[in-house]
Amino acid sequence: MKKVLFLITMMLVLPALMIGCATTGDLQKVQADQKMIDAKADQALKDAQAAKAAADAAKVQADETSARAESAIRAAEEREKAAVEREKAAEERARAAEEQERMAEEKAKKAEAAFEKSMKK
Amino acid sequence: MKSVQKALSFPGHREKKIERNRFPVARGEDVIGRLAIIRLEKGDTLPDIARHFSLGINAISAANPGVDVWVPEAGERILLPLSFILPDTPRKGIVVNLAAMRLFQYKEDGKSLVVTTYPIGVGTSERPTPTGNMHVVRKAVRPTWHVPASIAKDHREKGDILPAAVPPGPENPLGEYALYLSKSGYLIHGTNKPASIGLTATNGCLRLYPENVKMLFDDTPVKTPVLIVDQPYLIGQRNGVLYLEAHKPLDESGALALKELYAKLRAMEKNAGRRLDWERVEEVQAAARGIPVPIFELRQGSEMEAAKPVEVEHPERLYGKPEVPALKLHAWYVLAADVPDKIEAQRIAAIINHQGPQIPARVFDKSDNYRVIAGPFNDGGEAREAAKRLKIDLEIDGIVIEPVKNE
Repeated sequence: MKKVLFLITMMLVLPALMIGCATTGDLQKVQADQKMIDAKADQALKDAQAAKAAADAAKVQADETSARAESAIRAAEEREKAAVEREKAAEERARAAEEQERMAEEKAKKAEAAFEKSMKK
Repeated sequence: MKSVQKALSFPGHREKKIERNRFPVARGEDVIGRLAIIRLEKGDTLPDIARHFSLGINAISAANPGVDVWVPEAGERILLPLSFILPDTPRKGIVVNLAAMRLFQYKEDGKSLVVTTYPIGVGTSERPTPTGNMHVVRKAVRPTWHVPASIAKDHREKGDILPAAVPPGPENPLGEYALYLSKSGYLIHGTNKPASIGLTATNGCLRLYPENVKMLFDDTPVKTPVLIVDQPYLIGQRNGVLYLEAHKPLDESGALALKELYAKLRAMEKNAGRRLDWERVEEVQAAARGIPVPIFELRQGSEMEAAKPVEVEHPERLYGKPEVPALKLHAWYVLAADVPDKIEAQRIAAIINHQGPQIPARVFDKSDNYRVIAGPFNDGGEAREAAKRLKIDLEIDGIVIEPVKNE
């Protein structure tokens, strides 16, 4: 009986002792691991933040460049438009001047014809 | 065209006067006179310059293409085409070249021949001057103009009723002197419209400036032969050089005259055994500037360059230039035009001033337009008569302006 009881006791106590020893060591290891992981996480976070910041900065720059490009295109388009308008206005002015000249010539011819007619008896 | 102009662009020395009408004719020579240049002054018109130098309006316009006849620029240099090739006719009596609108009167002066030349006005294409041989049958001082039925009809259609006869005076288109030709109904006479000399404006008669017809009248006895020709292309020589003078033909006969010119030149080229500068011939013919241009050396080594035109001084007063009387507050006026362009206003005023008899006119400079005011007139009747003439002759609707009244 005693033997049975001993066995049972041993079966209960030994694992308990063994479990108690594993928990302390493991805990320390886990804690150490956690620290390392935390550090890594911190590093990863930092890296991620830095990457994001870089990405954000790149995006801002890209956006700015794009905006500048758009603005430059718009300005160029406006300049082109203004040039076309100026050219159109110049053409119109030239046309008007030509028309004025033609009318003046016509008037001069008409006056000359009237003069010649008036010189008859 | 360049070569024609190049030969004429730089004047030689400057002279006070230049011969305009009377030239000796050297034996065997056909070219008389010399070209001249004058610098225009403010207010000059080409008809005024033309009259002073005894040129027609046709001649001065053709010699100066592109120059405004009525409002030329002050300082502009004008070529006076006072060199002429004599028409291809016998040199006696009176010879008229219709195309050149010039009359030539030949006279023996001792052993030499002298020609006196005057610009003329000739008939229109509807009533052309007849060509051919005729002579002077009678002469008259202060002639009466018996109005032909055709002219009376033309005027009636314009609302102008002419009397059957117009007595001597400013309204008489024959002027002060007339030479009646054997071809009935045709006369050589003066004019009350001096600005018409050099135009196709008559009913077939030949008109001269008043100062020229007096000289011709005094110098021409009855029975003087008169030969009227139409030669737009004249060739002639001087100092071993052949000259060509081309005028714008008056009608379609120009094509035949051109054919004859080319035939003559080809014959001359063949005789000389040297090639003629046909390009130059074409240039001179196309430009039709009415001035003799050297085209061929008849004697090798002759000076081919045209003689440099002489520069003449601008006279203090141009003979016959219409004068505009000073403004009078109590006179009548006619507003002839109100236009935005200064040149147009000046042109209208100049044309009105050159009517015959003269209607004085000037330009009033307003802030944004220019007014042409005709006058002063002594009374309302005179002003209304001027307005009527402006309407009939120039199609101008004038507005009669009453005198400024004293308060």
